Amino acid sequence: MLTLAGRTFRNCDGITRRNFLQIGAPLLGLGLPSLLRHEAGAADVTRDRGKSLIVFWTHGGMSQQDTYDLKPYSPPEYRGPYRPIATKVPGVVLGERFARQATVLDKMSLVRSVHHENGIHAPSAHWMQTGHFGPTLARIAAQYPSFGSVINKALGSRSPRMPAYIAVPQAEAFGYQKSVFLGASYDPFEVGADPNAKDFKVPNLALPGGLALKSVRTRRDLLAKFDTLRRDIDRSGVMDGLDAFKSQALEMVAGEDVRRAFEMEREPDALRDRYGRHQYGQSALLARRLVEAGARVVTVNTGYWDHHNEVHKNLEQHLPPLDAAIGTLFEDLDTRGMLDDTLVYCAGEFGRTPLINGHAGRDHWSSCFSVMLGGGGLAGGTIVGASEKHGGDVQERPTIPLDVMATIYHAMGISLETHYEDASGRPVGIAGTGRPIQELF
Amino acid sequence: MHRVLTAWTDRGNRIVPSIVAVALLLSAAKMGAGQEREDGVGDAGRVAFTTDVVPVLTKLGCNSGGCHGKSTGQNGFKLSLLGFVPEFDHQSLVKEGRGRRVFAGDPGNSLLLQKAIGRVPHGGGRRVAPDSIDYQILANWIRQGANAPRPDDPLLVDLEITPVRGRLAQKSVKQLKLVARFSNGTLRDVTRQALYLSNEPGIAAVGGAGEVRSAGQGGLFAVLARYGGRMAVYHGAVPFGDTTRPVPAAAGSTPVDRFLVAGWSRLGILPSPEVDDATLIRRLTLDICGTLPTVEEVREYLADRRPDKRSRLVNRLLDRPGYAAYFAMKWADILQNRGKGYSTGKQRAGTALFAGWIRDSLAANKPYNQFVAEILTATGSQRENPPTVWYRQVRTSVDYVESVAQAFLGVRIQCAQCHHHPFERWSQADYYGLAAVFARVGRKGGFADAEVPTNQVIYVKSTGAVQHPRTGRVIPPRPLGGPDFDLTPFDDPRQRLVGWLSGPGNPFFARTLVNRMWGHFLGRGIIPPIDDARASNPPSNPELLEWLTRDFIESGFDLKHVIRQIVNCRAYRLSSLPNASNGLDTQFFARFYPRRLAAEVLLDGISQVLDVPTSFPGDRGGKFPEGTRAIELPDENVAVHFLDVFGRPARTSACECERADDPALAQALELVSSKEIQRKLTDKNGYAVRLASNKKAHSQNIRELFVRVFARPPRPREEQTAKEYLESEQDRAEGYRSLLWALLATNEFLFNH
Repeated sequence: MLTLAGRTFRNCDGITRRNFLQIGAPLLGLGLPSLLRHEAGAADVTRDRGKSLIVFWTHGGMSQQDTYDLKPYSPPEYRGPYRPIATKVPGVVLGERFARQATVLDKMSLVRSVHHENGIHAPSAHWMQTGHFGPTLARIAAQYPSFGSVINKALGSRSPRMPAYIAVPQAEAFGYQKSVFLGASYDPFEVGADPNAKDFKVPNLALPGGLALKSVRTRRDLLAKFDTLRRDIDRSGVMDGLDAFKSQALEMVAGEDVRRAFEMEREPDALRDRYGRHQYGQSALLARRLVEAGARVVTVNTGYWDHHNEVHKNLEQHLPPLDAAIGTLFEDLDTRGMLDDTLVYCAGEFGRTPLINGHAGRDHWSSCFSVMLGGGGLAGGTIVGASEKHGGDVQERPTIPLDVMATIYHAMGISLETHYEDASGRPVGIAGTGRPIQELF
Repeated sequence: MHRVLTAWTDRGNRIVPSIVAVALLLSAAKMGAGQEREDGVGDAGRVAFTTDVVPVLTKLGCNSGGCHGKSTGQNGFKLSLLGFVPEFDHQSLVKEGRGRRVFAGDPGNSLLLQKAIGRVPHGGGRRVAPDSIDYQILANWIRQGANAPRPDDPLLVDLEITPVRGRLAQKSVKQLKLVARFSNGTLRDVTRQALYLSNEPGIAAVGGAGEVRSAGQGGLFAVLARYGGRMAVYHGAVPFGDTTRPVPAAAGSTPVDRFLVAGWSRLGILPSPEVDDATLIRRLTLDICGTLPTVEEVREYLADRRPDKRSRLVNRLLDRPGYAAYFAMKWADILQNRGKGYSTGKQRAGTALFAGWIRDSLAANKPYNQFVAEILTATGSQRENPPTVWYRQVRTSVDYVESVAQAFLGVRIQCAQCHHHPFERWSQADYYGLAAVFARVGRKGGFADAEVPTNQVIYVKSTGAVQHPRTGRVIPPRPLGGPDFDLTPFDDPRQRLVGWLSGPGNPFFARTLVNRMWGHFLGRGIIPPIDDARASNPPSNPELLEWLTRDFIESGFDLKHVIRQIVNCRAYRLSSLPNASNGLDTQFFARFYPRRLAAEVLLDGISQVLDVPTSFPGDRGGKFPEGTRAIELPDENVAVHFLDVFGRPARTSACECERADDPALAQALELVSSKEIQRKLTDKNGYAVRLASNKKAHSQNIRELFVRVFARPPRPREEQTAKEYLESEQDRAEGYRSLLWALLATNEFLFNH
């Protein structure tokens, strides 16, 4: 791990903090030619032992009543058609389309009492992914960094060759999975293609038409010869950082390690089938491969779950794949001994209305909904909080988005006292008023 | 004083019953000035909350922004940030927390002290030792009944630091002294009770007792001392080397040069040598026009033998449309000419008008004060008066205050929205007074379909006021630092504001522009960041800044004039290569500080070298006209991945810091495997293909393409390496593509150096 001192900021405490830029490069101050030479000799790549995070982001808002928080005793217009099924945890039921997760629920926990105060997609997506109420269409407000970017900044990548934070297949459309003022180095690397596609290739690593891999290697050698501007003319860290990223990018494109992590065909067919031959399943499998190769945070963006019409007909398309993806991931991580070091989180910007509407759909609902957290050293099989009889409001243990953020940071081993500075230099605590959900630990 | 401090330490574990009185006695005796008293500041022996207890809480960090001082408090215990509201703090300590925080019957069992010494678990850890003076002050206060602040308590009226400024050798120590003056005439030495911060701990750090320790590096620093809501600043200088031999002035020195040389001499720092003409024309063309010089321009300039060729070049560049386009882009960032919204076409109508107005104003060299006045006082529709578009993105009290303060006054007063600024004089009255200037801005019409409304008509309402958020009092319009504007209901307060901006003696307006321009050309403001002037963030060369400011005002706020003053100075011509004395310099411009090309400039540069323009998508599926350059785009809402990854700002604030220069993996990947660069390398009319098909010798092509990319001829070894590579490559076209790509990916191309 390489730590570079970047811009200095001053905050309201008057303390000079350096914006530390953590990037995966072998050595500081070598300059690009040396870095490129160094790559070739660096056979053994040390990985740190810290934790990783895999996120399933249900963009658009998944119906909690049909999945993680069933209301079997409510009238049909609330409970919907799905029956409850028993799970590995005595007394806890899931919706019948989550049969695979039911068999591993002892490794996962559910928080059924998350709530916030906005019912529109974009602001809610910002709230759930940053912990803060931010900009809306009518409200000009500063955007906050996503939890993925905060983790990237705090912990960096586990391997110098892998991007720390990766979005599969791409980042969420609102742009709220980004790093904003933390610095562009902490944005997610977007894979840019569906890993279930037959000829899946990563566009960002794929070469444009007419450019052969051999040419890239030639260009890399030429660059090493001509990039001779003296590095000691820059004391800001920017030139060193750019060198390190150029070296990493060339390694990703022209080298083997990172490419290999994206080669889905290296997985046995049986396992690929078990994850499911669909975008969600193969994305989950790719996430595991990337974590194995050293990624810190992999966000699987699923969806669109915005089912205002015929919600159950639509859920038939989404729930079985998501269930196979998450259920198999827990099995697979457990088999490989990775579960304790890999936190898995499933959430979206909000849930959906308990009462089914006139179009057989469910609308936006942020007063009470569920999220799933498991692995990463958390105790499994815990159900935290509860919704009211029909699911409309929190009945016990109200939980705010920042509590969930705090839980994730704490589980990842990041101190909740960590602060970063916004664009004006004011200190912002990563967890703000949020408290880790102690019941999960 | 030193002897006395030692005596305190020698007391060891002994309890000192009224340490405050002891401290006072000593200070009064030492200082001799003011009214000597042997008791507390107030009544005899009484520990006063505001002047005794709150400073301890501040010193121990209890009320800092990371702890109980943040707006949500910490673990249910909240104090006012840095103790600016003692009444609140007293309430919080004595009345809340079920009365467990202070316990007069047995002070030691008060939660306040138990937590502070870490006897009961405390998230903030152990803050104080039971045998310390700070502990005793708190304990005595509790024992005396935890007295509340009283109306007749003496007020802290002044805080004096000695010395105010000074010079320290490297690796030396200097003791500061801090004296508080109270409203009843009492003086008190508070050196040990204050909180100290250095703005450059790498140059000089400061300890808790006010002792400054310089490190092994030259530079300027400031130490901020804070006590009881007041602050004082010590300005220190640590020489880089020998200060006895002045730096020689170069021939043809300008006034700016004389201030620079004086600064270098004071600090014992030697400037790097001046660069050659090739490096200079690249710098000037990039910095003035946001454009790379062409091969012809470079060759012509190198061949020019006239003694005034440099100032001729500067004048030529300032007259090119590229100057207005490039600086219009810079101002559109600061003025937040933002195009993002649901309906690009509707947004674009306004951003295009405003962008054009900015560009035309700059091309006409409209005086800067007039430029700003026309924006701030704009009324009407965007069509008849394009600067009203500024009011589209800037529309709330918060936006007005922060944008005006940051863009035109060079200060960040965001902190004062919620509390007294922790290290400036800005209060909430300043913040809301400036907000009140805009309280009567009215809007009507426009498209307001659930997005930021566009095309609204801006007018001045007859009413509108701003209230203090805590007291509810109506705050009259006033400029920063007051006094209130004297207004009739028929006056537009904004007119008064712009009058104040360019009025005589305004300390902010012209200085901010000059500093911004200096930062643009020299890579760092004389006050950095350029919009964060504070007593605790002093200019690195105050005389230079002052002279440039006055010169700018006397020129009639002439923007091209100030640019000429800056680029014709010696610092602008210095090499970025460090010498033995200035390698660690980041404050004195004793060498040129390299910086990255802006996203738009970089993309345009690649297009120019490869002679293939970028195609920019317009609204409704259209395109910008062929040949449009990135620096000419009207707003940031033109979807170009390259510009986003290389740090094009979103234009959501007036801070130039929005334009990020952070390196990122995505940028490197964009260089390595971008379709756009590969397209430009393979375009059949492009430069790479032309090189491949011309029948010239490699050497001849190499000599030209180096000038095209780097604005300099190749060095012999480079020419040799390039030639050997091209000869080894079977495919001549592939050879030129790879060579050009490699040169475009070097730092020499990516940076202005």
